[in-house]
Formats: sequence, C-alpha cells, structure tokens
Amino acid sequence: MISASKTVAVLGAGTMGSGIATVATRAGHRTLLYDLTEDQVERGLATVRAFLDKSVQLGRLSAEQGTAASAGISGTTDLKDLSGSDVVIEAVYEDLAVKKALFGELDEIVSETALFQTNTSTLSVTAIASGSRRPERVVGTHYCNPAPLMKLVEVADGPYTADWAHSATEEYLRSVGKTVVVTKDRPGFIVNRFLIPWENSCIRALEAGLGTKESIDAAVTGALGHPMGPFRLLDIVGLDIHQQVATRLYEQLREPRFFPPPMVERMVAAGDLGRKTGRGFYTYDDTRLFGS
Amino acid sequence: MLEFEKVAVLGFGTMGTGIAQLAAQAGCEVTVLETDQARVEAGSSALGAFLDEGVRRGKVTAERRAEILARIKGTTAIEDLADAELVIEAVSERRDVKLTLLAQVAGVVGGEAVITTNTSALSVSDLATAVPRPERFAGLHFFNPAPLMKIIEVVRAVQTAPELADRLADFARALGKEPVLVKDRPGFLINRLLMPYLNDVIQGYDDELATAEDIDTALKLGLGYKLGPLELLDMIGLDVHEHATRSAYDATLDPAFAPPPLLQAMVAAGILGNKSGAGFRGKENAR
Repeated sequence: MISASKTVAVLGAGTMGSGIATVATRAGHRTLLYDLTEDQVERGLATVRAFLDKSVQLGRLSAEQGTAASAGISGTTDLKDLSGSDVVIEAVYEDLAVKKALFGELDEIVSETALFQTNTSTLSVTAIASGSRRPERVVGTHYCNPAPLMKLVEVADGPYTADWAHSATEEYLRSVGKTVVVTKDRPGFIVNRFLIPWENSCIRALEAGLGTKESIDAAVTGALGHPMGPFRLLDIVGLDIHQQVATRLYEQLREPRFFPPPMVERMVAAGDLGRKTGRGFYTYDDTRLFGS
Repeated sequence: MLEFEKVAVLGFGTMGTGIAQLAAQAGCEVTVLETDQARVEAGSSALGAFLDEGVRRGKVTAERRAEILARIKGTTAIEDLADAELVIEAVSERRDVKLTLLAQVAGVVGGEAVITTNTSALSVSDLATAVPRPERFAGLHFFNPAPLMKIIEVVRAVQTAPELADRLADFARALGKEPVLVKDRPGFLINRLLMPYLNDVIQGYDDELATAEDIDTALKLGLGYKLGPLELLDMIGLDVHEHATRSAYDATLDPAFAPPPLLQAMVAAGILGNKSGAGFRGKENAR
C-alpha cells in the first residue's frame, strides 16, 4: 500500500468531492481537498473526518487507520498547492465551462503524467477533456452517492483518452477498493441512462392512476426485489436532482422518456424535494440522509 | 374464514403448480385440471420436489408437506371442478386456448363461482367475454415463483364487479401475499414498468454501451438490485419476454414496448436464456 501510495487532489469539497476524498485518504493516498473558499474546504474536511470517526466507532476501520486517514488529508484554496499530484479528481458542480477551465489551469501546474479524472454525471467527458491541452490524460470516473459506501464507479473514456490513462485509472480505483465497470462517453453512462426513464415511467404510472405511491413502491419491492420502491428512492435522491439530471439527459438525447413528467416540476415548484425538505412523495420527520 | 374454500386451478405447469401450493397452504381444497394424466403426474411431482426442498431447508415440516399435498388433487375430468368457488386459470398464454377452456369451465361450475385468469400478457376484459355473467371475472396475476413472490396483482377487467376486487384482495392476503389493485392495461402495473426498462437495456447492450456483465454489475451495485436486467431476462426466458412485450406493443403501439431487434434475433436463433443454455449472460454469449 505504501509503495503504491499516490498524491491525490480532489477538486470540489461538496458532497461528492468530500466523499471521493474520503475514499482516497482511507486507502492510504496523500489527499488534498481543493475548493474556492477556506470555509468550503473546512466544511469538506470536517465531513471527511466525521465519516472516518464514524467508521472507527462502527468498527469498520481500526483506530490507527482512522487516525492515519484523518492525518493523510489536508485542504487548500490554492491550485498551485496541487503541483505534486499524481491523480486529480474533479468533482465540482456540473458546469462545463468551470470544469474545462480547471483542467486548463492545472495543465500549467501538475506534471505531464498526472492523471485527470472527472466525476461528471451528465456532461460529456469528451467536452470536459477538451479543456486540457492533453485530453489523452482525461478519464471519466462516475462515483455513486455516498461515494465512501458505494462500490461502483463507471469509467468512461473520451475519444482521445490514452490507454495508459485508462489503465492507470482502473488501477487507482482498484487501489481504493472500487468495482469498475467500463462504459462509453454517452449521456447517463449506464446507471442513470437506465434509471431515469425507469423513474419517469413510475412517476407517469402514478400520474395515470395505475396505482398509489404506496402500492407502486410495494409492487416494485415485492415483485422485483428492488431494495426500495421508486418513490422512496426519488425522495432520497431529491426531486430537484432528478429533475436536473433528467432534463440534462433529455437535452442531449431528445427522447421524451428522459424528460421529467409534469408532477416533478410541480413538486419542485412547491419545494417538496424529498427527505431533505421533509416532504416529497412521502412526508418525513427526520430530514437527515444516511443517518449522518 | 377463507373467502374461497374450494379452488380450481387450470393448468399444472410452473405457475399452476405454485398457485395450487399457495392455495393449499392457506387451507383451500384444490383441484388442478390438466389435459392428460402425464401432465397431472409431472405437476404433482414438481410440487412434491418443491416441498421436499422446503423440508430439506427446514422451511416446512414433513407433516406440513403431507398436509399440503393431501389438499391438492389432479384431474383430467372437467366435471371434477363442479363445486369450485374460485377458478384460477393458468394455462399457456394463447388467447384461443384460454377462451375455449374458460367457456367450458364456466359451463361446469356454479353460477356464483368466481373465475379468474393468471394471464400476464392478454387482456382480462377480452378473456372475460368467454364467461356468462362476466362481472364475476377478474385477473389474479401471480409472479414466478408464486410461492415465494410477495405480490399478487388483482386486475379489474372493465366488466369486473367492484366488490369482487376487494374479495380477491382478501383472498390474496389469506395466501400471505400483498394484493395490488390494478387496471386492465397491457402489462398491468409491474410488467408495464418492467418491459420498457428491459427493452431499453437490450438496446443499450446492442448499441455496445458496455458488456452484458458490466451492465448487470452497474445496476446491481449502483441501485442495489438483486439481479441485473440481463440476468433477469435470461431467467424469465427471452421468448417469454418477447411475447409479452410484443403483445403490449400490439395493444398500445407504444414504441417502448416494441421488441428490440436483438431480442427478436436471439429468439429466432433459439437463444432463450437459462432454459436453452445460452442467453445474454450464458457461456455462449449472444454476440
């Protein structure tokens, strides 16, 4: 582990960024968490350390591992501090211009052989890679939320991604304990590509009166063995996030089944975004997600 | 108190066997109709084997197994169904076969007997026309394997009397299942949602989005599904899925139900999933 230890920079200290940073430092990589303001960085680091402490409490990590992982991560608001990175993982918000600009700036700072990974969920890896003068080093790595708990990472190359970058990415993801599936740079990769139309058709079935939210959830869990029904899942994901992802996929694919049904727009307009607001398809007293 | 004590099951195939077992477990006297003695025996031995497995795993006692089997009688004589209070039709998914059989059975059972179909791909309202007084007709859609799956779709045909759906829902609960009341639309609820998703995955696979294994892995790990969609298709049988989704397409002209070209080609080639030894995930991959 030590000999293979790398220096990993994570750009963006939000939910996904801090999760991905947790994954990196937990596996023994020297990890740097970057964001625009001290505040954002501190909040991100606190999230990482809280997760690690909880893992120690639950016995998933030994006390030494927890201490080492907490000590192995630091934060910065200065891109120049990332100069020694072997792996740069971009997890900022879904804005193409911002993502491209970051990779362009980092071209000047990191070594020629540093790997660039982008955690985009709805943008094109190809488009993001065009922000770097060396698009051959850019690979799409889409983590699932919460990143420290979900084993899956979807890996998608752009047309210019080099073989060395792809294999180094797979090797890195294995070093942090992830299961890799290889897909193409297409909207939604695998999971969202199939999940979004599925969720939309469940919402349309509800709109059409084919069942109630309870009966559809019960039918899906009972007959298909899914861990939760579509409406419980949408409440956890957030109706606003579903709307955003679905709309972005629709804009690229122009297939109506990706477009969020009217019910979603009404719920978002009403502020009924799911668990995080206390009301979505169901109502909640406890708005915390994942028991954190 | 059971809503129906004497139950007739039409067909001793996979679904008929599971349904007969469920009804007998709940305490019903069950008569299963088949076309010849060999099929009656095949059904009985499949049922015995399923319960043996339950005994081996400690889920059922040997006494309970004997008790359940004693409540199930196979027959080839339609007159043996005369005193049935509830008929559950579970023969092959062919409209003409079902219509003929339902008319014959309606001529034998009492005028108050409730008659249901376990069809998954045909219109319940259409099948109801085979029966005099179709207000006593409804769909009772079990999932495979019936003894294990927790859901039963209670399908209201356009002719179904409103209170009948409630009686059938009570009966489903007596079988230990959760009833889901659904309209008579192609695919009812679950298959209506499932078929476009499976078609979508087949097309994505044919479009080389990823390997079959990686598609299944992504959806299992990403969404916590027990089975990936392509493994599920291999289990269901590609021919069974093709027939169901084609029926829904014919009834709706909704392209989401149109059987994808790769599915049609695999079925034509006899690549049907687990039962044929090759499918999406079989050793001899489709591509």
